[in-house]
Formats: sequence, C-alpha cells, structure tokens
Amino acid sequence: MTLQSIFARFGLVIIIVMFFSFFSYISPVFLTFDNQVNIVEASAIVLILALGMTLVVAMGGIDLSIGIAFDFGAAFAVVALKDFGAAWYIACLVGVMGGALVGLLNAFLIVILKISPFMATLGTFFVGSSVERVFTNGGGPISYRRMPQEYRDLAVGDVFGIPTEVVIAAVVCLVYFIALERSIFGKRIHAIGLQKDAANVAGIPVRRYMFIAFILASATCAIGGLIGSANIRMFTPLAGFSYLLDAIAAVFIGAAIHPKGRPNVIGTMVGVLFLGMIGNGLNLMGLDFNLKAALSGLILVGALALAVAQQRLR
Amino acid sequence: MNQTLSTKLLAVFPIAVFACLFAYLSIESSTFLSLGTFELILKQAVPTVIVSLGLAAVVIAGGDDVVAGGIDLSIPATAIICAAIIADQLTNQGNTLVFAMTLAFGAAAIIGAINAFLVVGLRMTPLLATLSMSVAVVGLTKVITSSRRIGVTDESIVFIRDGKIMGVAASVILTAVLVVIFYHALHRTRWGMNMQATGGSRDAAEISGILTRRFVVQSFLIAAFAGWIASVFVLARGSGSSPGTEENMLLEMVLATFLGAAFSPRRVVTLWGAVLGAVVVSALSVGFISIGVNVFWTGCIKGALILLVVASAAVATKGRS
Repeated sequence: MTLQSIFARFGLVIIIVMFFSFFSYISPVFLTFDNQVNIVEASAIVLILALGMTLVVAMGGIDLSIGIAFDFGAAFAVVALKDFGAAWYIACLVGVMGGALVGLLNAFLIVILKISPFMATLGTFFVGSSVERVFTNGGGPISYRRMPQEYRDLAVGDVFGIPTEVVIAAVVCLVYFIALERSIFGKRIHAIGLQKDAANVAGIPVRRYMFIAFILASATCAIGGLIGSANIRMFTPLAGFSYLLDAIAAVFIGAAIHPKGRPNVIGTMVGVLFLGMIGNGLNLMGLDFNLKAALSGLILVGALALAVAQQRLR
Repeated sequence: MNQTLSTKLLAVFPIAVFACLFAYLSIESSTFLSLGTFELILKQAVPTVIVSLGLAAVVIAGGDDVVAGGIDLSIPATAIICAAIIADQLTNQGNTLVFAMTLAFGAAAIIGAINAFLVVGLRMTPLLATLSMSVAVVGLTKVITSSRRIGVTDESIVFIRDGKIMGVAASVILTAVLVVIFYHALHRTRWGMNMQATGGSRDAAEISGILTRRFVVQSFLIAAFAGWIASVFVLARGSGSSPGTEENMLLEMVLATFLGAAFSPRRVVTLWGAVLGAVVVSALSVGFISIGVNVFWTGCIKGALILLVVASAAVATKGRS
C-alpha cells in the first residue's frame, strides 16, 4: 500500500484523529465524558439541518433557504403557543408545517417554474427574511418565557438520561438513513442526483420526487427550529442563517468520506461531529473570539480542500 | 406564429416588468425622475457594480451553471478584508495610502490564488471553495479589526466619497472607467474571446487549443482584483471599515449578476448585464424608499421581482430550444 493510496482512503479520518488527539493534549477537559456529550449536544441542531441539506444535495440541488425553514419552524411554533395557547405537540406540528411552506415555495419555483435551485432558494431566502422582518416589525425576537414544560424539554429535557435534542437528532438521522440509503425512495433520489435525464427515462417520476424532497428537507429543518426556540424560549428572526455554511460543509465533508463521493447520511453525521469538535476544541483553548472565527474558517477551508483532494486521488 | 409571438413577448418580459415598475415609481414620487436621484442611484450601486464585474468575469470563464460552473462568492469578503487592512494601516498604524493599498493588494492576490488553486488544482466545486474561503476571510478580517469599526479620514478616500469630476460624482466616473476597461478586455480582445470560449464550452475550447485552466485561474485573480478595487469604494461609502457589511454585498452581487443574465438576449451572464443588474437593484431600493414603502418589505419585493424575472427567463429559454 503506497502512501498515496493510504491518504486517498483515510486522509480525512487521519486529520480528524489528529485534531482529536491535539485537543485532548492541549486541554485536560476535552476528553471528559461531559465534554464529549457537550459536543454531541451542540451538534444536534446542525445535524438535523445538514440532513435536510443532504437530501437536497443527493438529488443534485442545493438549498440556501434552510435557515428560513429553521426560522419559520420556530416562529410558527412559538406563535401557536403564545397567541393561540396551543398544546405543545400541536405547536410542534404547526412549526413543521411552517417549515414545509418554505419547502413548498422552493418546490414550486424549482419544479414548476424550472428556476435553478441556487437562484430559487436564494430568492426564497430574500423573500423569507423580509417576511420575518415585517412580521417582527424589524427583527425583534418574539419571546415566550412561560412556554409549556413539555415544549421546553425539547431542548433541555432528557430521555433516560440522554438529552432530548440528541434523541430527536438520532431519530431524524435514523429515518434519513433508512429513507436515503436503504430504501427505493433513496435509490431514486440518488439516481436523480447522478443523472436526472437517465432517471426520467428509467421511469422515475423525477418532478414528483423533487417536489417531495424539497418539502421534506425544509420540514426537517423546521424541527431544528423547534429545538432552537425551545432552548432560548423565543423566536429570533434570521437566526437560522448561521447554520447554512456548517450544513453545506458537513454534507461535502461527508461526501468526501464516501467511497463513491456521494452525499450520504453517515458521512454528514461525521462531518457535523467534526465541525462540532473543532468549535468545542477551539473554545476550550480559550482563544480570543475573533481569532477563533479566523481559525475555524481556515480549518474549514483546509478540511474541505483535503476532502476533495482525497476524492480526486481515488 | 402564435408560438413565436408568445416567445417574443416572454423575451422582453423582464425588461417590460422593470420598465413598468420604474414608470410607476416616477409617477408616484415627484423626485424619482430627477438627475439628483439618478446620481444617488449610481453612487449607491458603485461597490456592487465593481464586485459584480469580478463575478461576471468568473462566470464568463467558468460557465453559468451556478453549482458546477464558475462562481466566486468570496469577492465581497475580499473587498471587506482589503478595506479592513487599508483602514487599519491608515488609522492605527499611521502608514501611507500607497503602502496600505499595496498590502491589501497582496492579500487580495493571495485569496485569488487560493481560490484558483482550490478550483483548478483540486477541482473543488467553485461554490463550495469560494463560500468556505469567504468564511475564512471574514474570520481573518475580525482578527484585523477586532470586530470594531475603523474610521478613515484620508484625503483621497474622502475625495472618492464627496469629490466631483466635471460635475459628476467621482466614484461614478471612476467606476465607469473601470467598466469600460473590463468591457474592452473581456469583450473586445483576443484574450477576452478566449475566456468567453472557455466558459461557453470547456471541451470545445480545449480542442481549439485554448489553455482553459489558465483562463479559469485568471478569472479568479480578476475577481480578487475587483474585490481589491471595490474595497476603496467601500471605505469611501462608509468613511471607514465596518464589520458585517459583506453579507448584504454578497446577496446584491449575486442578484445583480444573474439578474443581468435575464436581461441579455441569450440569457447569459455578461458584463453589461451585471452592471445594469446592479444599477436596477440599487434603483429599486432608492425608488421604494422615495415612495415610502416600509423598508422591511423591500427585500421581499426585490426577491419576488428577481424570481419573476429569472422564472420568465427560464421559461423563455425552454420555449426557444
């Protein structure tokens, strides 16, 4: 086995292990069980959004409006709780529906009007963020401090000792794994992503699948919004935007680990945990906030470049 | 016959929409149709026009598929870091403008070179490469400025903000000169034609003996150069470097450039299209403010209009092929 083939196969994994060892060496706290749980907990929301993104990218698209879906999920749920006194599960349902609305707009623009996913979801982003500003009269948060404990528990509760948000993320992850990697639906989504025309000729109802996938992706992101709003007990307009790049990066890091370079659920999970680990480790090193921003950006570029280089060597 | 008529109507639809809108704005607002407003629109559009020139160059050389073709989302971040470097050198370190600009140029060149390496050397998707570069560069900018505003009072910068050349705002004149230079280079020289060929069909260009990889590399360097130039106008507009201005610029740049494609007869990204797109976007902002539309709605109206135009362009292209 040559050095090159080792790199081609395990390059990114080696880097992940190196960072892991480095942080363990630098900070005595990093390796503790509590801190590892912290990393996983902090990654839960990003993972949920990244999974939605995985579905869209696997289908050959991109979704720049996942942040809007996140915000709509939070906004619809918080308003349902606050102004309509809805039960917590109704609020969750309303939130997911709110997110699905964003997906519906995307699907309409992309499938019916045939706008490229990039431009369409960018437009959705514009329209969505403007709607959020108008709705909140300029971008002030909608706070609801007396929300039902059950809803609050989405973020702070636990199931048999495991934080609820981790459980939710794990369930979403499992559902996505089965749907995307182990079902006919997933096979067809991947087929559309690989060769849309071929998929069409092969009899896959491409348009219907794309329509459904964009709505599913947005609805998934809204679940992230529910957890986010439960955590801070308010809806903050435009909060979802900050997850966009992490979600995209995780999907592409994940694709790089895949033997055939395809976006996939397990890879996305690894990508999200890698980014979470970097964020956590840099925090523990006690770096200046600005320096941390620069370093995590540089590491992101490096990791993505490495991931792509690794793919090319195969 | 009927078919061709509707296709023709669709072809002029984007222009018609904006013509109607501007007609409405000029009727509603007494000040909209005046020279002063027009100058304001152009002044507001300046940094967006310049970064859009850079993006247009990348798209021209890389092809207009937004994901797989050429795109450079790091131009606004480049402009912001150059602005930060110049402001820091002038105000905090007390160096001359020439030195500060040279340092900023070096930074821009490095960013352009890394972009080119990622895209051409590693064959990374331009969207991903430049998006992550943008994040890294914004992070580095924070280190330079400590996320604080740095004011600039340099004479040349103030001249670009307030000065006039032959009665017209200096920034507008300088930008116009830049547009002409870019236009000549990209649309009127052999080099520019080769670059257009590279973006039009990579394989065909390759077979014709054009070193396509070199042109893609050059396009990213041009983009970084545009970012460097834009930084001066960013400094002038804000009288210094302010944190967090890159996001809005990024959105306006992408909008302007691809909106411009909807105006062009062949629905491709062109230099004129990008410039026109930037001016139209700026005119919309100014127009809506002048008739007193709630400023929170303008993003929505802009987004909807752009989708309308892009959608009609998509339908029209389908109708012709």
